[in-house]
This record gives sequence, structure tokens and C-alpha cells, in this order.
Amino acid sequence: MERFFRSDFFYHFRHAPVAIVSFVTIILIILAAIFANFIAPTNPFDPASLNLMNGFTPPLEANEFTGERFLLGTDDQGRDLFSTILYGLRISLFVGLMAVLLAMVMGVLLGLIAGFLGGWIDSVIMRFADIQMTFPSILVAMLIYGVARGILPPEVRYEMSIVVLIISIGLSEWVPFARTVRGSTLVEKEKEYVTAAKMIGLTRQQIMLRHILPNVLSPVLVIATITFALAIIAEATLSFLGVGVPSTKPSLGTLIRIGQDFLFSGEWWILLFPAVTLLALALSINLFGDWLRDILNPKLK
Amino acid sequence: MSFVTVNQLTRLFDLSEPWIVRTITGQKKRILTAVDCVNFQIEKGETYALVGESGSGKSTIAKMVAGLLMPTSGSVIIDNKNFNDANLEKASMNALRRKTQMVFQSPYASLNPRWKIGNIINEPIKAFGLIKDENDQHKRVIELLEQVGLSERDIKKYPHEFSGGQRQRISIARALASEPEIIICDEPTSALDVSVQAQVLNLLKDLQKNFSLTYLFISHDLAVISTMANNIGVLKEGVLVEQATPNDLFHKPQHDYTKMLLAAAPTLQNN
Repeated sequence: MERFFRSDFFYHFRHAPVAIVSFVTIILIILAAIFANFIAPTNPFDPASLNLMNGFTPPLEANEFTGERFLLGTDDQGRDLFSTILYGLRISLFVGLMAVLLAMVMGVLLGLIAGFLGGWIDSVIMRFADIQMTFPSILVAMLIYGVARGILPPEVRYEMSIVVLIISIGLSEWVPFARTVRGSTLVEKEKEYVTAAKMIGLTRQQIMLRHILPNVLSPVLVIATITFALAIIAEATLSFLGVGVPSTKPSLGTLIRIGQDFLFSGEWWILLFPAVTLLALALSINLFGDWLRDILNPKLK
Repeated sequence: MSFVTVNQLTRLFDLSEPWIVRTITGQKKRILTAVDCVNFQIEKGETYALVGESGSGKSTIAKMVAGLLMPTSGSVIIDNKNFNDANLEKASMNALRRKTQMVFQSPYASLNPRWKIGNIINEPIKAFGLIKDENDQHKRVIELLEQVGLSERDIKKYPHEFSGGQRQRISIARALASEPEIIICDEPTSALDVSVQAQVLNLLKDLQKNFSLTYLFISHDLAVISTMANNIGVLKEGVLVEQATPNDLFHKPQHDYTKMLLAAAPTLQNN
């Protein structure tokens, strides 16, 4: 730990205000999401606690029927927006994190195999990646989402919707991981330590996993950060389009969709607060990811 | 029969464009003969040096002797076994691998930067199942480190904490870990500065004496080769143009190319 505080990495971090602000924002948002049930005044996922009479209460004003006040107002169902945003963040962050993990594992393994084995396996994997890159990833995610919903029996669709969401976002974001890892693998596999491993008769799997994998992982961290922001936005977009999480458990995207319905009738707060939260989260992760990329890539210094 | 027999060894590389490009542009196949009918023998405990300019096929021969590359024709026979013998069963293949190890040119690329020294040296011991008990493995790694002039303290360090010469010692320790009988040294000193070169060469000589190792020594540096080799082969464009003892080669070179190599080598002159 002491070594970390004396490292170059920490030195650069202390002298980069953008990095500090974005990092603190990310941490605050993550903590708020984790401890949502302690911070939030109500539980928006519990239909019994909702009162329809509280609907459309503006921020900080007293409701005309019940007299209750809400920090950020309420939506059409009478859900406290502040609590709903905190609980919605949980879903957004969870889906984003899981989708990134899926994309990362898949992309790293496929890139490693393509780069190390080469030949027709490399061609097949990378041409498939090229084809997928020609479609916007949100389109790929919607396609996979649609197919998965079609395959699943109707009675489990509802419970499985978050899993399906994770898989469709994950499968649409693996390409950058695979490309980067393939590139580094092509460099690493020519190095003499790999030849030395062949000299003692290790199998190709052992060489890939024990020797090459640890040496191609550092750019993966940067891509994972930026993909995390992309995945959160993809989840919000899918939910906004109404194909994501069910509206009884709203994520940030679902809230923005609900808010959009009422924007022109004067209830601006239902759209604004979730949108600002999403913006702050995605922007912070992106800025932090950019800073990480600059710091970890000596060629850009 | 000699310990190592290289018999009519030939290796071709296909450098032509892919089939579809050749068909469209009407190009012919381009074949490079990297190694052309090379013959030599190495006796047990001796050093055979291959010398030649870059691109002369030295490293290709080294790879084929190490069993990393298939010869197009001809054979390499080490202690009556051949890496490319399809009938060789798995156990003798492993035994042959254990007997044949390599020390590489770049001490910066030949050690995995994410591994600790102890693990790097222990890897062959584990891979060949030489020592089962972990404590004994640890003792063996320390013994190996001491044999190459390093110490027990270095076991937990990473490669970047060492100088080039020290790294080359670690490479040698790793090569020794499997108790090999032949070590292929592919330009082991060309990435080191001159004062360190001498230390590494002396270490290799001492180890040869203590463990009766056989060396196939690849270099383009005639000074290095003259101190190491019992026999020298001069390679030019894949063909072995001359074989001689160092004494004969340096004083009575037969082939024009050898004379040119000797004349091209820089020397220090006292005025």
C-alpha cells in the first residue's frame, strides 16, 4: 500500500484534477448505489409503499393531496425520484459491470487464440469481428436481445430480462478487447521467453494462459473502463427504447423514458434528474478511462 | 557415433504470396533455401561454433537442433534420438527435450517479465517432474542460482530488477535446471557489453567443465568464438563453406569467404 502511494501512478493521479474529480464522482455514485437501501427514504421497487396520489409532485414542493415533500419530486406512479435513481443506479451499474466482464472474458480469450494460433482460426475470428464492427453495437445488442426473447418461454422472460440484457450488451462489445489482445499476442509470441517455454515441452494452452496472457492484460484495463461507460449507456438506451429491464424495476434508462413522456406537459424533473445522473456517471468513467489510457501508454506521454 | 550428428540438414522457407494473389498477378512461387545440406558432428563435452553473417542460416540450424523447427530434409540426431522421428514415444520425446536446452540472444526478451526469478528457474523442474517436493524444488533453485553466481536473495525479484549480464545468468540457470546434456547458445553474448561478455563466457566454460555439457554455439563474433570453440563451421547463405579448429581457421583460412570474415573483424592495434 505504501508502495502504491509512492508510485509514479499515484503521483500523476495527484496532479491531474480531472482524474481526481472523475474518480471521486465514480466512487460516490458506486457507494450511493451500494448503500441505496440506507440512503433512500423509500423503496421504489415495493409497490405496496407507493401512493398514486403522490404522482407528479415537483421537487421540494408539498404534494397538493398528501402534503408530502420529495427531494427530487416524484414520477407518474408516485415513486420518490431520489430513491428510484439510487435503486436504478444499482441495476445500471450491475448490468454494465457484468456486460463488461462478459465482453472482456470473451474478447481476451478469442483475441489470445486468434493471435497465438494464427492461420484460418485467426481469419475466422477476426473477419467475424470486422463484420460485427460494421453494425452499431446497440443494433447488435437489440438483435441478440430480440432473438433471446424469442427463444425463452414467456413465463421466464420477465425474470430473465436482466440476464438477457447483460448477454446482449456483452456480446456486442467484445471486439475491441479481441483486437487489442490479438495485436499484443502477435508481439509477445515472437519473444524468446515463449520459445523457452516451448523448449520445456509446454502445451499451447499452457503457453497462452501462463506466459502470454499476463503480458497482454495491461491495455485491457483501459478498454474495460471505457467499455463500462459504453455498456451503461447501452443499457440506458435499450431501457429507453423499452426493450430493457421491466418498468416495475426501473433503471436510469427506464426513468428517462418515463420522463420523456411528461417532458412537454411541464413535469421536467422526471427526465432531468436521471439524465443528469447518467451523464455524470458516463462522463466520469470516460474521463477517468482517457486519463488511464494516457498514463499507462508511455508512447502518448 | 558422435553425440550430435547433423546429417544433410536442409530447410526451405516458402516466401511466396498467397495462392490467390499469385494467380492474379502471375507471380511464381518464391522459395528461400535457408539451410542447404549441412553436415557436422559434435562430440560429447565439446563446443561446436557456427559463424556467419546475419541471414546465413545460423539461427535456423539452432532451431532445428533444438527441435523447434522441422527440417525440410535431413536429420539431427542427438544421443541416437531424433525430434522428428514419428515413432518416438512420448517419454523419450520428453527425455530428449530435457536433454536439449537453449540460451537466447536477448536477455531482455528471454525471461517472462511477469514472473519471479524463482518461478522462472523452477518451471523446467516442474514441467519435467524432476523434483516433486516443493522444499526440495526451492533448494534446487537456490543451488542453480549459486552455480551461476547469483544468490538466494534474488529468488523473489522480477527480471527488470537485474542488469543484462545478470539476466543472462538467470537464463543459463533456467537452462541448467532440467539437467541438460546439450545447450544451444544462440548469440548469448551479443546483447551484452564487452566486460560482461567475458564473465558470461567464463561461466559457460566453467559449467561445461563441471557438468560435461556439449555446446552448439552460434555467433557472428569471431573473438568470442575463438575462446569457446573446439570446432568452427563457417556458414554462408545456408551452406557450410569451411569447417576447422580455431587454430587452423584463424591462421590458415581455406575459403575466400572465411578470409573475408577474418579481414572484416575489427581488431585493436598497438601503434
